[in-house]
Amino acid sequence: MVTLAISSAWLLRANDGAVLYEAYHWVTRPLQPGISREEQFESSYILELQQRIVELEYQNRTLQTLAAYEETAAPGGTRAAVIGRAADHWWQHAILNRGSRSGVAVGHIVTGPGGLVGRVVAVSPSTARVLLISDPTSRVGAKVSRSRSMGVVRGQSNNRVVMEFFEKTPDVKAGDVIVTSSFSRLFPRDIPIGRIESIDLTKSPAPEAVIQLSSPLAILEWATIYPFEPQETVDLPVIPGAAPDIMPEDRP
Amino acid sequence: MTPTARVSSLPLWRQPWVINSAVTVVSVVVCLLLLPSRVPGMELLGVSPHWLLIWVVAWSIKRTQWEGAIAGLVLGLLQDAMTSPHPTHTLSLIVVGVLTARLQKQRYLQEDIVSVALIVFAMAVIAETVLALQISLNQLISADSLYPSLGKIWLYHQRIALSSAILSSLWAPALYYPLNRWWDRYSPSS
Repeated sequence: MVTLAISSAWLLRANDGAVLYEAYHWVTRPLQPGISREEQFESSYILELQQRIVELEYQNRTLQTLAAYEETAAPGGTRAAVIGRAADHWWQHAILNRGSRSGVAVGHIVTGPGGLVGRVVAVSPSTARVLLISDPTSRVGAKVSRSRSMGVVRGQSNNRVVMEFFEKTPDVKAGDVIVTSSFSRLFPRDIPIGRIESIDLTKSPAPEAVIQLSSPLAILEWATIYPFEPQETVDLPVIPGAAPDIMPEDRP
Repeated sequence: MTPTARVSSLPLWRQPWVINSAVTVVSVVVCLLLLPSRVPGMELLGVSPHWLLIWVVAWSIKRTQWEGAIAGLVLGLLQDAMTSPHPTHTLSLIVVGVLTARLQKQRYLQEDIVSVALIVFAMAVIAETVLALQISLNQLISADSLYPSLGKIWLYHQRIALSSAILSSLWAPALYYPLNRWWDRYSPSS
């Protein structure tokens, strides 16, 4: 018995465990990636799609360089890289690498690929701190591009913002484009913000819509700073358009 | 930290208290510079470790309440400078400093890295709660508050407090261990 065990083990060892590996091959057969006839067709189709993607990616790259070039040529804009984020979890800030030395001042508007990003709230000689529109304390006067319904866009600390309408029954539907309104005192008008994702007309006191921001604030790498004179000197964003005639008295 | 009374023949930059202060200040500056960065792998749900909180815990763990409170005040002011002074971070970091110093560690916990991570976990939750309380108070008192409704604040607080606590406690040893070793070596009593 012992000799049998030893001799068989010796035999296996002599031919490098070929039998064991053969057995292993048969046991794991269902798990091995085999190629059937349909799969062969499928894989060649995937190959074709992959090659198309390569081509589209190349086209995309050339278009992007073109777009980047056009953005640098835009009048008055300063290109800046995002070099940091808020130094705290409660704020949605971005730190840009251009500051007062490049002519950036508090109140300037920051846009990125996709539209509005925020406004400059503090500058140092070579950095600028931007309050993103996704910050809960940020308020942007906005309108529905199609129907001109007005409202205020409020941040929610993520890539979706909430728009509160002034009217009880605004003319909106999902997919509508939201841009900054001309009543906004902190932002120039007609800068794209995003698209309406869902609407809650029953919300009290004002109907609300959830807006998907078109600029990817979480992965933003480049932004453009545009000079803009806020129509008010106060730093507090107040609800634009809500009470435009009482502001000189109660704002120092 | 404290200038020693003994007369030393060493030049100023070689004296222990100067070196010690320099190391302490540099460590704070490094923490401050880490705050706005979002290094891949150091981030959870858009939240990075609360380096200043880790520093305050590391500082207060073997010091008195007053020293903890002062460290909390100083670092809180520095963080206010980097974000926004309302609501202030001084309050939360002072609370953290005092509580950490008050903990009867020799009785309940042992001086090791795991217990420091646990303390940091609890303190991160407390710090975010203090901030959320301030925001809620502002929302309740002032009529034209810019902050969202209480429900949203506390929902956001849950998310932030948990990810900040997890990340901070995981990264706490990286800061605590070298700082603690250094302070042990250069303690004023030695």
